[in-house]
Amino acid sequence: MTAAFRVPTDVGVTVGADGRTVYVASLPAGPLVVLEGAAAVIWTEATAGPADGWLGRVARAVGRPEADVSADAEAFVADLCARGLVRPV
Amino acid sequence: MAAHETTDDAGAPPTVPLEVRIGFAHASAQWVADHLALDVLHVKGAALDPTLVPGRGYSDADVLARPQDVEVLLEELRGHGWDLINSFAYGSSFEHSATLRHRDFGLLDLHRIYPGAGPTPAAAFDALWQERRTTVLGGVRCAVPSRDAQAVLLLLHAARGGGDPKGLHDIESVWTSAPDDQRARIVEWVERLDAGLGFSVITGTLDEHRDDPAYDLWRVASRGGTRWDEWRARVRAARGVRASAAVAARSVLVNVEHLTLVRGRPVTRREVVAEFFDRPARGLREALGRRSGAGR
Repeated sequence: MTAAFRVPTDVGVTVGADGRTVYVASLPAGPLVVLEGAAAVIWTEATAGPADGWLGRVARAVGRPEADVSADAEAFVADLCARGLVRPV
Repeated sequence: MAAHETTDDAGAPPTVPLEVRIGFAHASAQWVADHLALDVLHVKGAALDPTLVPGRGYSDADVLARPQDVEVLLEELRGHGWDLINSFAYGSSFEHSATLRHRDFGLLDLHRIYPGAGPTPAAAFDALWQERRTTVLGGVRCAVPSRDAQAVLLLLHAARGGGDPKGLHDIESVWTSAPDDQRARIVEWVERLDAGLGFSVITGTLDEHRDDPAYDLWRVASRGGTRWDEWRARVRAARGVRASAAVAARSVLVNVEHLTLVRGRPVTRREVVAEFFDRPARGLREALGRRSGAGR
């Protein structure tokens, strides 16, 4: 199984104790980014789930049709890429 | 969809749990060590084996390096957003660690020595490194001492805690109530690390080491004392005339870094001068107070 995106070695990731918040830090100097709600779902599906169907899983997780969420989800991941927090596989 | 940078000034930053920040402090230090191709060991706090003292809290990250690597690590950390707030000479009686602060990751103690572990700081590091394990902190694999070695390090830390409740709880969990086989493994590590002096605080046999140059350091650390007692112990423990003279000189110098932290801004010349005269006076007042209290 390969995820759609990978986390570079100069990025640290911690999932909060609530299981619904993801903390992402650029290493070694920061900043520290907090992902909550849909942002955390997108991160998890984009970096940890199989690449196939990751947008569909995001849509199901937030209870919306894939067509409604895919543009926003892809824009969000593009922003993460621009910040150097993820890279396409 | 909500993503926030903790350092984003526009809008209220979300709360980041302390243990998350500290995990990233470890990760940041590991990144720097990897970048320099240096070995570091992560000790206590988030790096502690959770089965040793379940639920133990922590407020900073502790990282141990080989003594010869510490200066370059310190310099590199300072180039990546870590501000030095207390240097080795002024950190504690044992002059063992420098404290750094990062706006996102909190506090980091960089140790060049682990007080009580030897026979030399480099030999202690090598012994711990030889049997290292790895754990993930802040999403990064970090080297930690073996579980039994961690137990000894925790006990040595508790030994110089002056009987604080957290240290007493550590002693109870790791030593007093430990099964015989764990105690035997701990004693083996005490021998490997030449840690008999510090460990004697735990077993109540410190006074059998009165002839040891570092005896007074451990006596003051474990039982308390005045500033004067502390500096006298530092001078006695310093090896060689030159080192003793350096410690004695520092005892009347002012820790400008610490003053800056306390004041929250660069200190003025007037404040440094005021502290210079106030500090020995404070030590004298404590010594006099103790003497008159003892006479009652």
